[in-house]
Amino acid sequence: MRLIGLATANLYFTYSMKNFTLEDAKKLFKAAAAAVAAKEVEFSKLDAATGDGDHGTAIKAAIAAAAESFENSSDLKNAFYDAGFATMSATSGSTSTLYGALLMGIGDGIEDGAQALDAAALAKAFASGLANVRAQTKAAVGDKTLMDALIPAVEAMKGAVNVQALFDSAAAASKKGAESTFDLQAKFGRARNLAEKSIGTLDAGATSNAHIFAVFADTFKNS
Amino acid sequence: MKKFLNAPENITVELLEGLCMAYADKVAMTGKKIIVRKSPKSQDKVAIITLGGAGHEPALSGFVGEGMLDASVVGDIFAAPGAPNVLEALRLFKREAGIILVVLNHAGDVMSSNMALQMAKREGIKVHKILTAEDISAGIDTPAENKRGLAGCVPLFKVIGAAAEAGKSLEEIVEIGERFNNQMATLAVAMTGCTHPQNGQTITELPSDEMEIGMGQHGEAGGGRSKILTADVTAEKMIAELAKAVKLAKGDKTMLLINGTGATTLMEMNIVFRGAAKWIEAQGASVNAGFIDEILTVQEMAGFQMILCKLDADHLKYIKAKSNAPYWTCNG
Repeated sequence: MRLIGLATANLYFTYSMKNFTLEDAKKLFKAAAAAVAAKEVEFSKLDAATGDGDHGTAIKAAIAAAAESFENSSDLKNAFYDAGFATMSATSGSTSTLYGALLMGIGDGIEDGAQALDAAALAKAFASGLANVRAQTKAAVGDKTLMDALIPAVEAMKGAVNVQALFDSAAAASKKGAESTFDLQAKFGRARNLAEKSIGTLDAGATSNAHIFAVFADTFKNS
Repeated sequence: MKKFLNAPENITVELLEGLCMAYADKVAMTGKKIIVRKSPKSQDKVAIITLGGAGHEPALSGFVGEGMLDASVVGDIFAAPGAPNVLEALRLFKREAGIILVVLNHAGDVMSSNMALQMAKREGIKVHKILTAEDISAGIDTPAENKRGLAGCVPLFKVIGAAAEAGKSLEEIVEIGERFNNQMATLAVAMTGCTHPQNGQTITELPSDEMEIGMGQHGEAGGGRSKILTADVTAEKMIAELAKAVKLAKGDKTMLLINGTGATTLMEMNIVFRGAAKWIEAQGASVNAGFIDEILTVQEMAGFQMILCKLDADHLKYIKAKSNAPYWTCNG
């Protein structure tokens, strides 16, 4: 029994130490692009309730451009910067600009030449990404935007014991954040003009963000 | 919606092509909806670039030309261009003398320009941003970040464009431009809303007997609704607020500009100008540069923007200096 116990502990130790590499980034974004494309209509319908009904199209184009850019990258740090640029080039509008800022900011938060990131380094990179997004928009938690999912997701990454736990925490926090937008009144974007009429719908940007983090967590587990 | 259009998705490119065909001696388009001067100014002079959505013609591209803008980066209808397009324009005009990027304070424009500036910095492009936020409808003491940039960007292009043409340095032009900005205020009034030319949606509706002072250039609510007033009463209400905002004093020299938003006649705008100019003179100040024109429109919205700016000696010189843009020519 004691031997088996040790073996299991060892296996868990190996699994938990799996760090985040460029190959992982490629897999995660490829999976996210497919998952977002499958939900394009759903995201656009959510957006049509309060905005101009194009979020599905916008997020699909943004993540597809990032995924394609990752495929052609050979360095982890530069891969994020290039993916950010590709995202902003794919379409204009706030979705692609904010995701572009996030990816570029993540790249900024990665050490030169880094091959694999442990949970602490990845959390630091995402924090740098979030800081860059926050430099572009004043939207905060409670404003019924993407930020209701993204901010708690990145904050939940802090202190994660390993990369899998980091993505699991982020997925759970962004899901909760996205669900919270149902009761919120929009304060940004075109939805702002609807005031209290915007209450009672999920924010499309927060919902798609939670979906992406869920796919990241699942894909990393299986990679 | 009654408009002369082809396919809605082609509106922006088609209108820019038309502009460049009509004024082929002055402007041209590069691939990514960037309008540039046909004959660029020399590399040793500061370049002036702006960005913004289409649907506000002649702004902003109609002011690309000698003595004004070097380039405008155009988005889709009422939408900011993406940061990579803005970066592309900054790369085109990279120079030792530097670039000034004029940004109207609207969320999308600010976001795209900030991202472009971040990327430009990495590439060693020398560029300085000037933000315009002269709309006082949110309140005179409201911080600039919460005010909108309306048509006041256009006389700013004129002033800093002329300073750049005269060979002033980046630092000097920024100082001249920010001083102009700080002495300028704008108020808008609307009588009707307008339709989005791509989807036909009505943007803001006003009852047939009402007007609204403070409405933005996408029909955003301003708050000051009333029954329709006479030209003189409207002009006085607006100019009094603007004078307060710029702290107009006896002996001040000013620029007064009436910008039609699309469906208000020049006849009406002349009458409004008269009312506002008389009010300024009654305060012991003077109108030294007057303009009545459509410079930044909002589709078929009826109404106008009134812009008041106190002019220093250098502003007065540059606002009247030579320019040769499609929609602002001046013999100097």
